[in-house]
Amino acid sequence: MGLPIPHSKLGMWLFLATEIMFFSAFIGAYIVLRAGSPGWPTDANITHIHVWAGGLNTFVLILSSFFVVLALEGMKAENFAKARRYLCLTFLLACVFLGIKTYEYYGKFSHDILPGHIPETPRMAIDKSMREMKQVVDSRTIALANFKPPAKSEPAKTEESVELAGVTDEKTKEITPPVEILRQKLQAELEAPDTSESRKKELAAYFALETKFIDLNKRALNESITLTEMNQELDALRKNPDYGVFLAPVHHLQPIIYGNLFASVYFLLTGFHALHVVIGMIMFVIVLIQGKRLCEKWNDYVENIGLYWHFVDLVWIFLFPLIYII
Amino acid sequence: MSEQQSHSYVKYSTIFFALCICTVLSILFDFIDLREKSLLGLKGVVLLSLVVLSIACAKALFVMIYFMHLKFEGRWKYVLLSPTIILAMGLTIAMTPDIGIHYYVDESPQVDYLKQAQQATPENGSANNAEKSHVE
Repeated sequence: MGLPIPHSKLGMWLFLATEIMFFSAFIGAYIVLRAGSPGWPTDANITHIHVWAGGLNTFVLILSSFFVVLALEGMKAENFAKARRYLCLTFLLACVFLGIKTYEYYGKFSHDILPGHIPETPRMAIDKSMREMKQVVDSRTIALANFKPPAKSEPAKTEESVELAGVTDEKTKEITPPVEILRQKLQAELEAPDTSESRKKELAAYFALETKFIDLNKRALNESITLTEMNQELDALRKNPDYGVFLAPVHHLQPIIYGNLFASVYFLLTGFHALHVVIGMIMFVIVLIQGKRLCEKWNDYVENIGLYWHFVDLVWIFLFPLIYII
Repeated sequence: MSEQQSHSYVKYSTIFFALCICTVLSILFDFIDLREKSLLGLKGVVLLSLVVLSIACAKALFVMIYFMHLKFEGRWKYVLLSPTIILAMGLTIAMTPDIGIHYYVDESPQVDYLKQAQQATPENGSANNAEKSHVE
C-alpha cells in the first residue's frame, strides 16, 4: 500500500503544497493592501517599475521551464548529453533572470525607493532633502578637515563619527571631533594668509554650499518654500561647477502616496521569489557538477528540481500581472 | 515508445508558444490601458485585474498540467493538492470583507492628502496647499 511515486517526489509535492500557502498569504496581503489604499502608486515614472523588464523576465522563466522539461525528457531517454545541455541552459537563464532583477533593484536603490525612505507628502519630501543635504555638508566638512586619509565623502559614516565624538571616552578622542569645531578650523584656515590658492578655492566652495544650505534649511523650517521651488533650487545647486558634484546623494524630491507600503510589498514579494530562484540555481549546480557521471540514478532528482523550478515559474506568472500591470 | 516521445516533444513546444502568446497578451492589455475603458459593467482597475489575472490562471494551468505532468499522474494528485487549493482559496475568501467591503473608516494622512491634492486647482499643479494636511 502506498502511492505509486518515488518518496522524493511525494516529498517535493508536499513541499510545494506548503509553498503554495506561503506565497498565497503574501499575495493575499498584497491584494488587501492594494485594494484598501486609494491612490496606490502605479505611474511607471514614479515607481520605476517597467513592464518590459517584467515581461522579459516572464519570458526568460517560461523558456527555462521549457528547457527543464526537455532536460527531463533527455534523462528519461538516457540521452544524458542532451539533459546536461538543457540543464546548463536553464542555469544560464536563471542567471539572466537575476541579472534583470538586479538591474531593477539598482533602479529602486538609486531613486531611493526603499521601505521607510519615501516621503509621502511635500512637507516630508522637503524635510528629507534637508536631512540629506546636511549629511553632504557635514561629510564635506570632515573630508576637508582631514588631510591624511584621501578626501572621500561617505555620508553614512558621518552620523556615527559625530555621535561617537560627543561621548567622552579614551578611544573616541582620536575619532573626528564634532563638526562645528572642524568648521571653525576651516574658517580660520580660509582667512589665514599662508593657505595655498587651490585649497582656498575648495574652502570657498564649501562655505558657499554651507551658506546655501543654511538659507534653504531656514526656509524649509518656517515652511516658506514649496516642493517645486525646492526642486528648482536643488537643480540649480547641482549645476554649480564648484560644489555641484557633492550633491549627488541628495535625491530629486518626489513624494509618493503609499510609497513605503508599496516598496515593502514589492521587495518582500520579489525578494522571496528571487531567493527561490537562487535556491533553484544551487540545485542545478549540484547536478551540473556531476558532468559526465550523470546517469539514470539522477532521474528522480532532475524530475524533482524540475517540479520546483516550474513552481518558481508559476509564482512569477502571478507576480508579473499583480506587480507590473495592475 | 519513441513515437510517444516525439509526440510529447511537439506538445511541449506548443505549450511554450501558448505561454509566450499569453505573456504578450497581458503586456498588450497593459498598453491598451483598460483603466479608462469599461466592459460588461466592469471598469477600470477591476476589469484590468480580471482580464490579466485570468490570463495568469490560464498560464498557471498550462504549466501545472503539462510541464509538471499533472495530466499524466495518478489519482494521488487530487488527494495531495486539493487540501492546499481549498485552504489557499479559503484564505482569499476570508479576506474578501477587507478587500470588497470597506466597513472601516479610512483615516490615514495619505487619504487626507490625496483628497486635498485632487481638490487643488489644476494650474497650481503640485498641490502645495495640501501640505498642511500632513499629520506628524
